[in-house]
Amino acid sequence: MPTFVRRRIVSSAIPLVVVVLGVFCLARLTGDPAKLYLPLSATPEMRTEFLARNGFDRPVLSQLLDYLGNVFTFDFGESLRTGQSAAGMALRAFPATLQLAGTTMLLAIVGAIVIGSWAAYRPNSVADRIASLLSMTAGSMPDFWFAIMGVLIFAVTLGWLPTSGVVGGPEVWVLPVITLLIRPFGVLVQVVRGSMVTALSAPYVKVARSKGASEPRVVFGHALRNAAPPVLTVAGDLTVGLVNGAVVVETIFGWPGIGKLMIDSILQRDFAVLQAAVLVTAVTIFALNILIDLCHALLDARVRQVVPA
Amino acid sequence: MRTSHCRTARPSPRSGIVCLVTLAGLVASGGCTVANSDSLTGGAKGALRIVLPQEPPTLEPCESSLTSTGVVVRSNVTEPLIERDPTSGALKPLLATEWKAGGPTTWTFKMREGVRFQDGTAFDADDVAFTIERAVGSKLGCNVDGYVFADSKLSVDVPDKSTLTVTTTEPDPILPLRLSFLEIVPTGTNTQAKVREPIGTGPYRIAKWDPGISLQLDRNDDYWGAKPSYPAVRYSWRAESTIRAAMITSGEADLATGLGPEDGAGDLAVPYANNETTALRMDGTEPPLNDIRVRQAVNYALDKQGIVQSLLLNLGQPAGQLVPPGVVGHDPAIRPWPYDPAKAKTLIAQARADGVPVDQQITLIGRNEQFPRVAEIVEAMQNALSEVGLNVKIKMLDTAAQLEYQLRPFVKGAGPVLLLIQHGNQAGDAAFTTSQYIASDGPQSWFGAPELDDMIDKAGQMTGAKRQQAFAGVLRYENDHVVEYAHLAHMRGLLGMSPNIRYQPNPATGDELRLADVRPAK
Amino acid sequence: MTVTVDDHVTGQGDPAPAGEPRSVHRARWWRLLLRDPAATVAALVLLGVFLASTLGRVLIGDMDTEQNLRAVNTPPLHFENGWQFVLGSDALGRSVLARLIVAGGTTLSVAIPAVLISLVVGGAWGMWAGYHRGWRENVSMRIADIILSFPSLLLAVVVLYIFSPRVANIVLILSIARIPVYLRTARAESAELRSRLFVDAARTFGTKSGAIIVRHVTPVVAPTLLTVATLDFCFVMLSESSLSFLGIGIQAPDVSWGLMVAQGRQYLQSAWWTAVFPGLAIVITTVSATVLAAWFRLATDPAQRWRLALPRGRRGTRSALQEVHQ
Repeated sequence: MPTFVRRRIVSSAIPLVVVVLGVFCLARLTGDPAKLYLPLSATPEMRTEFLARNGFDRPVLSQLLDYLGNVFTFDFGESLRTGQSAAGMALRAFPATLQLAGTTMLLAIVGAIVIGSWAAYRPNSVADRIASLLSMTAGSMPDFWFAIMGVLIFAVTLGWLPTSGVVGGPEVWVLPVITLLIRPFGVLVQVVRGSMVTALSAPYVKVARSKGASEPRVVFGHALRNAAPPVLTVAGDLTVGLVNGAVVVETIFGWPGIGKLMIDSILQRDFAVLQAAVLVTAVTIFALNILIDLCHALLDARVRQVVPA
Repeated sequence: MRTSHCRTARPSPRSGIVCLVTLAGLVASGGCTVANSDSLTGGAKGALRIVLPQEPPTLEPCESSLTSTGVVVRSNVTEPLIERDPTSGALKPLLATEWKAGGPTTWTFKMREGVRFQDGTAFDADDVAFTIERAVGSKLGCNVDGYVFADSKLSVDVPDKSTLTVTTTEPDPILPLRLSFLEIVPTGTNTQAKVREPIGTGPYRIAKWDPGISLQLDRNDDYWGAKPSYPAVRYSWRAESTIRAAMITSGEADLATGLGPEDGAGDLAVPYANNETTALRMDGTEPPLNDIRVRQAVNYALDKQGIVQSLLLNLGQPAGQLVPPGVVGHDPAIRPWPYDPAKAKTLIAQARADGVPVDQQITLIGRNEQFPRVAEIVEAMQNALSEVGLNVKIKMLDTAAQLEYQLRPFVKGAGPVLLLIQHGNQAGDAAFTTSQYIASDGPQSWFGAPELDDMIDKAGQMTGAKRQQAFAGVLRYENDHVVEYAHLAHMRGLLGMSPNIRYQPNPATGDELRLADVRPAK
Repeated sequence: MTVTVDDHVTGQGDPAPAGEPRSVHRARWWRLLLRDPAATVAALVLLGVFLASTLGRVLIGDMDTEQNLRAVNTPPLHFENGWQFVLGSDALGRSVLARLIVAGGTTLSVAIPAVLISLVVGGAWGMWAGYHRGWRENVSMRIADIILSFPSLLLAVVVLYIFSPRVANIVLILSIARIPVYLRTARAESAELRSRLFVDAARTFGTKSGAIIVRHVTPVVAPTLLTVATLDFCFVMLSESSLSFLGIGIQAPDVSWGLMVAQGRQYLQSAWWTAVFPGLAIVITTVSATVLAAWFRLATDPAQRWRLALPRGRRGTRSALQEVHQ
């Protein structure tokens, strides 16, 4: 297992560099930020000075080499917009996203396992049909539309929840988490249900039942275990998507996460911050991917141990 | 399918589910707490809560001509020498008690006594000299420099602690007005880099800035003037205007800026004239827009009244010039161009007959979120222009990309462009507008006319009623003989206000929200 | 942007490619479809959407761009200005119905090509990588990692502001962002098939690897990929809508369902119909696509097809609606 992890980490390093390079070059294509940051009537000299000060006047290649050199000394540059350290801004925003994504996925997985198994337990029943239809509808809802409707209903009309924000009790989390949750939940319910239908009709379930195992034990003990791999794959991919930043939810609810930071720094041509933010999320995504692979390998290995081919 | 391996197997330990939950748990616990800012909720009882469209990038005072910075800093954290009454336009003493012209190019200012900065140091004329030097003379690239001081060279002299003389190379009758944009910082403020959290003389000082979340100002108890009503003010920001409106109706905020006409704040949204004017700027250097008849046709083709009524819901007034009433130079006699599509068609037909390539594709450029309803207005304009026979294509850009078209040097090879601009004259004097938007070499002007440049130069050196007349003449000449603009509307803003507070919005509210003017309702 | 890689289906790779004559096949398709009411309704809905956005487009002429600033935001079921305002008018006085029809066309012309491109490119690439394993597989998977962790928003901004905001460019961005999904699915299945007997046999007979992939791997992997693709359809529509929300999607005067929802969000309290109808259109279309995908999966899987072929009464406990993810 350690060799596997080591090899995986080494082979992830190159893609990481490619992502950083790609972001660096693409960002340069969006135009130089002089007009955005200089006074309206800046003179040509001021512009030249600005470009020189930030190194934008040099060829992209030499800027890139400089940047890479600095990255190795953990210097990610400064934000043009705020004058703060770019790495600091990215690291400060990231926990907010991570927390939101973690809470969302935890609830989505647990909820999907419960609802999905329940639906799969009696396939084709009314409950199953309702669960399937609802999860499909949930999976195809435009998130910003859902978010604004949620605010209008629960915060404005009913007054049960705050409209937005991060400061306060758990009630602050309700709307952002539900908005973010609805799609992964809808998708996962369908995945769990599909896998469980197959698993529950498998011979070993009958064996377990005939041996007198209780129904919850059959469903959650035997069947669910075998239905896990596809759920793991899909849940992993969904988590990766959330870590990359939930721009829409973060924008609407004023959640100071990495997605909002990225879109702001793209729109403000704040290259250093964008690069730092992408690096932070890319590292996390690679780590997550390795973890997911590891989980799969673990599952596989145990399966193979039990069933010698 | 992988699971099929398991069918005959003794069920393996439940590693799959364990893995899933661990994974999610790791992610959740990996993040430290975001919501640990109890000091904010606990520490600000009775605070005034304001929600802005965006977080200030910095609170650097020399950047205060940026709306998102100025709305927090100006006259709250820091103060200028002189303040301009946003409604009457009169200049009133603030850190300077009096000022007078000592000749056409020299001005003398008397400093207020007994004023202290928030760090305890005393304020005197040296600080003002330092501030001017820092904003105008240094390499900081301050926005206030370019906006207010354009090309003028200032030399500053401090004969004694309470006196300051400023000398300009050219006569500048509105120097006191220009200086009203300069927020004073104490000597010793960093001149090499901008400061995020400045020290000023204002009624509030920066207490706590949780980047991304909120910004709290506390009352400065050593303030030299009248004590403001609220002990603390908390700013937060939401990009969606519907959410800002919802925060007002649900009682989560007391003041919300930048609302749109149908955001849902109802009666709690108070309209006010915000000194912004919208117009199409026409690139008169490219065919077919280089023909004045085509530019006139654009003016006739736009149904300004219809747009203002249906799209802005009367939050505005059809405009015929770039400056609204209340600004020196505004001429009430200049009427908006009438809506006359038939005339527009005739003018285009005439141009076509003379060989002007009127079928050339024209790009209509707007900026996302520039003002409420901008997307709809651009679509309405495109439709109107197509109906009179022009070939117009829409291009909506973000701020950075749009500025490439708005500011010199302009994008090359872009073809004929109609650029939707929104100009806010914060200063109340048309000199700021004409030098930027109308002069042939203005940083935001595509072209002009030599006669017009002369008129602008002359007007800039006049005072009083003559100045008013001269600038009105400039605006009239632009409309009659140059036609670089198709004016749309003098806009009105919407301020969301909870019933708990008392505040009278004024034309400067969007740029400079004076906290001292906000009071509890009872 | 959240480019969530979801809609993943880890399908069964049951081999045994079916070998019936084609005509029998086709007749059976219809019967299979009609046997499942949910799938039939879904197919009808999709057909309706397709017809509306092609034929309907011709019928309505330029009603979708005709503005009337004197009759903006009229509620649904008010016919003073004509039948086309049955679903109300928008902020510029245009018929919401006409715009829905035109927007449907744009949405489909973004979603279908985007899905097809990522399906073909990602699928072929994945099968190739999985079949050969070794460095080809490693490099391909790392490229998938790169695309997944790359901020596709930046790509969108670059393409829209530096190049032009044309439909083709949006298709390009969305399809690139979705390639890894197919790449990974196809690779996993193809890697597993590689060791199967029938592939081994072909190899022993000296068949070229390209031919093996086309003849033996593709038929087995295709149903799973097609299911993923149908589900991805929904994702692409929603992504396009999120781009519009951020102002970097389809540009006016073009219109898509996503853009309609994004623009209508300001009117949710005063003119709900401008945002709710396009939102409903997205939901109904994607739910139909999902149901049909589930049915398709059953119908193409020889091991499962019996469930559809059985007479209704004896069919027991299965229907397409539940076979969404297997």
